[in-house]
Amino acid sequence: MITLSASSVFAYLLFPGGLFAILFGLILLSVERIAVARFQGRVGPPIYQNIFDILKLRIKEVLIPEDVTNRFMFAIAPVFGFVGMMTAIFILPVSGVYGGTGANSDLIVLVYLMALPAVSHILGGSASGSTFAAISVSREVILMFAYEISFIIVLFTVALEAGAGEGVVFSLKGIVDYQVIHGSFISNFKMIPAFLAFVIFMLATLEVPPFHIAENDGDVMKGYLMEYSGMPLAFFEITHALKLIVLLTVLQVFFMPGIAGYNVFFNLLWFIGKSAVVVIGIALIHASMPSFRVDQAFKFLMTVPILLSLMSLGMVLFL
Amino acid sequence: MLSKYAIKSPWLYRINTGSCNGCDVELATTALIPRYDVERLGCKYTGSPKHADIVLVTGPITVRAEDYLIRMLDEIPEPRVIVAIGICPISGGIFRDSYSIRGPLDKYVEVDVNVSGCPIRPQSILDGVAQAIAIWKDKINQFHEA
Repeated sequence: MITLSASSVFAYLLFPGGLFAILFGLILLSVERIAVARFQGRVGPPIYQNIFDILKLRIKEVLIPEDVTNRFMFAIAPVFGFVGMMTAIFILPVSGVYGGTGANSDLIVLVYLMALPAVSHILGGSASGSTFAAISVSREVILMFAYEISFIIVLFTVALEAGAGEGVVFSLKGIVDYQVIHGSFISNFKMIPAFLAFVIFMLATLEVPPFHIAENDGDVMKGYLMEYSGMPLAFFEITHALKLIVLLTVLQVFFMPGIAGYNVFFNLLWFIGKSAVVVIGIALIHASMPSFRVDQAFKFLMTVPILLSLMSLGMVLFL
Repeated sequence: MLSKYAIKSPWLYRINTGSCNGCDVELATTALIPRYDVERLGCKYTGSPKHADIVLVTGPITVRAEDYLIRMLDEIPEPRVIVAIGICPISGGIFRDSYSIRGPLDKYVEVDVNVSGCPIRPQSILDGVAQAIAIWKDKINQFHEA
């Protein structure tokens, strides 16, 4: 049960949701760009680059194309993903720092919220009336069907393992508490395949290579973002940053919620450190991989992550 | 006030108007290799003309490319800076006086920076982009006063 109190408003708007998450997400996106540049032997942009990108988009002219098929949808699409991600950060616990909302079945809510950025891309892209956006939306839908399955299997595996043979735990806080007492799932051999499947899901959701398909500027220009400019585009960029934070937090809730003592400040630093290490790992994959074609990506996502997560599910059920 | 921060994030967009690809190779790859990293200035190549701040035009504007160039220039939001890359959009270069050339570029749009060369050197691309950023700052201020 969520009640409207000063602390929940603070958590939604300032910390750990809202302002903190947006700034941290934008900085992590810059860290990813810097890491890719360093892996390629370049200098890369400064660390505040993505924040300045948002400020820059604030001053640009907003263009609305004449052949928009649905003006209302075109205008409202950026807000969908943004709101979904803000709510997702609000309900997610950060171990040792913030307890989440503590609602009983927030894991189920998370499944729906995680799909919202892709839904906003699909709505905005298909309302914009551009051919490139149409191609990109069809690719996004195909990928979404493929990666959501493995995410749901991973989620059930984690819920079962946290239940310790006595049912399932659909509470995010319950999962974190179980791992703080019994050790993180990343050190549990049964959960390693699920962890790998979740990393593949992360790459596919974030659309970094090898899953840079839907908005690849090499063949569909900018895809669903093609017709957006100015502030609506900035909203999509902020949503991308929030999506990165949500995925990193979910990864840490599911697999590595270990705490660094009982000091909130150190736990926050530990959270930031773990996130940065994961982002640099993503950047290494980004810098070293080419991109799949959409049919190859579909085949890959329908086999490898699903088999990995089913392997974990089997081990959790029968071992 | 925002212009101080905005000039640190210019997004580049390339328009090829029938170029021989010499300048495009220099723009797409050489300007991003370790020695001449254009991302240090905060630049990023974007895929859509609607995200562009600095437009890099290559090629001598052939008959076929003319309509597309005009349409594309319409789609680039203000404030923006147009940079002519290579000798072709500046004067026509070796294709000057050809039957299939409709250039130069300044017949269609006000060009802010000319970067000459055939093909251009990476150093001059970086110099041209740096000059374009300086011009862009003034344009942002003018755009906000208007």
